[in-house]
Amino acid sequence: MKNKIIMFWAIVLIVIASIVTIFVKPTKLGLDLVGGSRLVLEAETTKSVPVITQEVMDRLQFAIENRVNKLGVAETVVQQTGEKRLLVEIPNVTDLKEAKAFLGETAQLEFKKEAIGPDGIQTWVETGLTGQDLAKSTLTTDAAGHWVVSLEFKSEGSKKFAELTKELVNKPMAIFFNGDLVSAPNVNEPIYGGKAQISGGDSGFAYEEAERMVNLLNAGALPVPAKIVEENTVGPTLGADSIAKSKVAGIIGLGLVMLFMIAYYRLPGLIADVALIIYSLMLFALFKAIPVTLTLAGIAGFILSIGMAVDANILIFERTKEELRAGRNLFTAINSGFDRAFTSIFDSNMTTIITCVILYMLGTSIVKGFALTLALGVIVSMFSAITITKNFMHLIFGTGELKYPALFGLRKDEIGKGFEATETKRENARFGILD
Amino acid sequence: MNEITSRHLIDIVKYRIVWLCISAILLLPGVIALVYSTIHNENHIPLKVGIDYTGGTILQYGVNKNVTNADMSKTRTDLQNIGIENPSIQILHANAESSKNSDLKSIISIKTKFIGEDKDTVNKITETLSKDYTNPDLISVSSVGPTLGRELFKNSLLALSLAFLGIIAYLSFRFKFDYALAAILGIAHDVLFVVGIFSLLGLLYNVQIDGLFITAILTVVGFSVHDTIVVFDRIRENLRYYSKKMSFGEIVNASVNQTLARSINTSLTTIITLAALYFFGGVTTKDFVLAMLIGIAIGTYSSIFFCSVLVDIWEDHKNNKKAAATAA
Repeated sequence: MKNKIIMFWAIVLIVIASIVTIFVKPTKLGLDLVGGSRLVLEAETTKSVPVITQEVMDRLQFAIENRVNKLGVAETVVQQTGEKRLLVEIPNVTDLKEAKAFLGETAQLEFKKEAIGPDGIQTWVETGLTGQDLAKSTLTTDAAGHWVVSLEFKSEGSKKFAELTKELVNKPMAIFFNGDLVSAPNVNEPIYGGKAQISGGDSGFAYEEAERMVNLLNAGALPVPAKIVEENTVGPTLGADSIAKSKVAGIIGLGLVMLFMIAYYRLPGLIADVALIIYSLMLFALFKAIPVTLTLAGIAGFILSIGMAVDANILIFERTKEELRAGRNLFTAINSGFDRAFTSIFDSNMTTIITCVILYMLGTSIVKGFALTLALGVIVSMFSAITITKNFMHLIFGTGELKYPALFGLRKDEIGKGFEATETKRENARFGILD
Repeated sequence: MNEITSRHLIDIVKYRIVWLCISAILLLPGVIALVYSTIHNENHIPLKVGIDYTGGTILQYGVNKNVTNADMSKTRTDLQNIGIENPSIQILHANAESSKNSDLKSIISIKTKFIGEDKDTVNKITETLSKDYTNPDLISVSSVGPTLGRELFKNSLLALSLAFLGIIAYLSFRFKFDYALAAILGIAHDVLFVVGIFSLLGLLYNVQIDGLFITAILTVVGFSVHDTIVVFDRIRENLRYYSKKMSFGEIVNASVNQTLARSINTSLTTIITLAALYFFGGVTTKDFVLAMLIGIAIGTYSSIFFCSVLVDIWEDHKNNKKAAATAA
């Protein structure tokens, strides 16, 4: 009995700890609930980079991170998934289309010189001077008040730039951005000192255009182009709607399951309900403590697990009722109910966990969320439905005599033979003693 | 426990042909739909597959009115006029009474082929919708590139096969092989039923399956075994005590009836929570929840009326063979 009381207080402590955790820790909500964008970018090979190596991926990730940070949104995620993909998550973004375009641009700045091909057609050829030689870029205006992009080269770049301008005196030097010709001014004299300006050609730059170019140049060029292969964007309206609805569904589901348990199993049902509430608190606290990012599918897994958590109790109580009908005394009935139902509970939960593990390994992030919450739910439910319920049953039915069979939803005559059946010594040793 | 044969509600063994026929009748419409779809769908896929597997883009707009079928066909024509090929349009009713957010009465879901970075197309679609509805709000965009779609499809099939193998391995380890086989046939029964119903829903209401559908199937697989294990555990236990006094059929009958209440009740609590999710939960997970709901209901049926019958038939078959062997 002493052990049972210690256990009871341990459960009380766990409940208090869970409630504290729920109040103190924030809930991590997925992008489909808070609104935001989840993109998968895939690196593409180019002529100059024919193989995507890990080093290329690291540089790509760094460049994308820089750009994402420029968006000024908190809690963004950029991580590599698979060999040549990057997962980008941007929560709470308002102008999504803009963010997307911003990410995909290679932002390759190139300086090219004129050449005449063998067929006499004018083309532009590479000079070796690119955006990688830049130290920084700023947005300024020229004497006439037009927006221009000012460039400052690194020391190596300054040298290259000086040599190039020396070579191209009285010739045009073309500036390409993302493969498009921005302008091709004539070089009047060699430029030393590593500073230059890009004006927007004849039409000049619009402010937004110049600002965007400056931002992209400062964030750094992508080593290889990256294209969007998957996108999931949810606006804040749909997210809020989903949260509100999930709450309603969760409360209704929990309420109905609790009502059913009381209606069918009476006092043990009520005990299972208390255990179920403790289960919900523990699981929610666990989600916050780990933390698990809750998505809509994850919440569905959580709510589904509420229905599955009482399964163990149903198996146990059915068995207990059966033992009572067969005339066992209360202790034997309760204990053998737990004992004999255990294999079934364990086996069936194992199969659920097997499927969850496989889903977690192979699924997309939405599927992973569901698998994780369901698996955690199943594990926690083993504790709540078995340990907690057993403890409460022992404490409540500690007197050892079932005076009111209705408490178990049984009629008096159903256990008419009750207390007559004598257990064997072995059974008594196994089930009959309250330890 | 002396009278374990009393209090029988259902005679599994006596009417085993009836139960198998009911299973066949339950499965038939789905199987017909599957065969029909395989012949008539493009690519000969038995189900309507969503962008997760084919690649494509879905744009969802929230509008502040209840969208009618007439609105929908007008939108479809308008979209075709601006050069969107075969837009597939669906209306999700956001159930405005229960949600406080009155701006979201209906959700118009437009499926097109994959739109990557090309924001002009999205702008054009938004403009077109602005003509037909007041202030449509672009509430979600999901896009899957065609290559990725194929990859996801492969992964899903792999997940499904691995789950099957994992469960077969676990069951063979815990039970004799013939029980494990019966449980697996039970799973196949349940999966076929759910897939068949979704094939039918695809034909009737253009319901498409996505990554979550496979998840639902796997959850059903886990749960279907759940119920079957409870029955088999009891058969095994009863065999230990009564195998000398009773025939195998009687033991199966007794075991099923003893576990009837718990088989039904465990499923019922799960069905209650799923029903709550279906009727009150988020719009985007409705099909996912429906697949699980159907699957868990059929899983309960199969564990009582299908798997136990199979075990009994198999045992008879073994005995007949033995008898034949001794006679010879």
